Amino acid sequence: MTPQKKAPSWEKLQKWFLDQLATRPKDASAAVLGTEVAGPGIDAAGSLPRLNYQIFLEAASRTMIRFKKPEHLIKMIVRTIDEQLKVAHTAVLLYKEDKSSYILIDSKGEGGRKIPVGFIRLTSDNPLIDVFSEKHSYLVSETGILNYEDVVASLRNRDILERQPDLYDQLLAIKRQMDQIRASLCVPCYFKRELLGVLILGEKLSGEGFSREEMGFFVTLANDAAMAIANAQLIERLQQKVEEVNDLYLKEHSVFIHTAIALAAAIDARDPYTHGHTERVTTYCLSIAKELVGIPDAANYKNFLETLHIAALLHDVGKIGIPDHILNKNGRLTPEEYEEIKKHSAIGATILYPIKELGGVAKEVRAHQERYDGSGYPDGLKGGDIPLIARIIAVADAFDAITSNRPYRPRRDINEAIQEIKRNSGTQFDPIVVSAFLLAYEKGNILVNGDIRGDTLK
Amino acid sequence: MSSFRKLLIVDDEQDVCDFVKSFFAERNFQVFAALNAEEALTIAKSEKPEIVLLDIKMKGMDGVAVLKHMKDIDRNLKVIMVTALEDQDTIYEAYRLGACDYITKPLVLDHLVQSIEKNLKAV
Repeated sequence: MTPQKKAPSWEKLQKWFLDQLATRPKDASAAVLGTEVAGPGIDAAGSLPRLNYQIFLEAASRTMIRFKKPEHLIKMIVRTIDEQLKVAHTAVLLYKEDKSSYILIDSKGEGGRKIPVGFIRLTSDNPLIDVFSEKHSYLVSETGILNYEDVVASLRNRDILERQPDLYDQLLAIKRQMDQIRASLCVPCYFKRELLGVLILGEKLSGEGFSREEMGFFVTLANDAAMAIANAQLIERLQQKVEEVNDLYLKEHSVFIHTAIALAAAIDARDPYTHGHTERVTTYCLSIAKELVGIPDAANYKNFLETLHIAALLHDVGKIGIPDHILNKNGRLTPEEYEEIKKHSAIGATILYPIKELGGVAKEVRAHQERYDGSGYPDGLKGGDIPLIARIIAVADAFDAITSNRPYRPRRDINEAIQEIKRNSGTQFDPIVVSAFLLAYEKGNILVNGDIRGDTLK
Repeated sequence: MSSFRKLLIVDDEQDVCDFVKSFFAERNFQVFAALNAEEALTIAKSEKPEIVLLDIKMKGMDGVAVLKHMKDIDRNLKVIMVTALEDQDTIYEAYRLGACDYITKPLVLDHLVQSIEKNLKAV
């Protein structure tokens, strides 16, 4: 089976890849960089599997795209080059924005040759980094690689010394930097002409120079790595953005809720007989809603619980438009006054509708006095035509009215209230909402603190 | 030739010691390395280095405390603090105890070399 058959896991691919390298013939450069293309890993005679570098590249680039952490990829590159190409040391510098420098993030090599990870950095104006900028491209060979041998050869060139002293100084500075980290080759990793990193190779332990094919191989590897690094950085930035947006959402959400709470408090303050009414209705609504979260009507809301929360807080906001002498009347209302009071749900919707952030609950506020059988107000909506949230508020609202004192009647106890709700299931109330209410009550999620409410009324 | 100058690197990471050793050996230094406080103080006494590179954050010991002991051994010993920490209080404390410079990791090799040369000249 060839490794291309299905997307292999990174570990498998790496193992396969190292196995390929391990079984290569003695002459590393000929095998690793052999130009003859046999089948994937098997030569024409079907004998020993061989690695040729096209396969390596294919495998490497396919894996690279899957990397989320470029450090893993870089470690793999460094380890492979170190183990298979027999160089004194290998290291990778990667640009880190927060330090505005190229940081050494991985390195391999014998004691003393290995540069400790995280120990050094190269600033952007370092001759070794600067050489890869466009204006100095003439210093680098056409492969894009900076080769120590070339630098030394140029420094020996009397012509440069005599006629181009600036260039000579520049070359000298580059040689000094390469000496410091004992680099024989510096391979740039570009993505969209940006230098993301530099692959650094020490000299070959055999003492030979690097072949053209080997250098071509490093360039391809470096460019693929750059793409993987750029991808990973993009993903990282994207994740940061998502988090920022989430934070913003949470902040805005809490602003809406607090606005709604402030409005609700303003309504409650005007009507001493229903003091705390909004807060209690909201609590009941949320308890009922918990039992209804899965049902299709709830799923139709983009954000069911949040919409319910705001709608419940604002369901009586229209009372702002009802004259004080009616709202605060100490005694039974006349039929005319009652007609006035009945306007509050429509007024509430009119107030909320134009507000961008709160307009989404106008429909629910308008319908919270509708009855399941169609005999409610203001529109005489029936059954499923009444928004689910309005049907929930209707039950919670009635339950609180029954268990609260009124100027014209004392409050009734919970059992009576429950019976009343049950009795009106299917006529005044949606039976599903009533069952949810009863379920919530049985679970102990509908709490009425009668004493405190009753006593603080006046 | 007595042009070899004595440098002591104190760091609990073997890689760092090895690298600094080999790096400065090529620059005419006789380099001693210590992986812990005891070794560091023993070498400071016996070899009398001219300059010390001292890591602040090491396993099981505090570079600032090592600095204090070193200064007790030789008040004029030049000590450059090296660390990933960028804690102003620690930096201040190190200077108060007589450190001559402070370099943060990852460091620029040229800065390290310059700091050492400047401080050796000042002897």
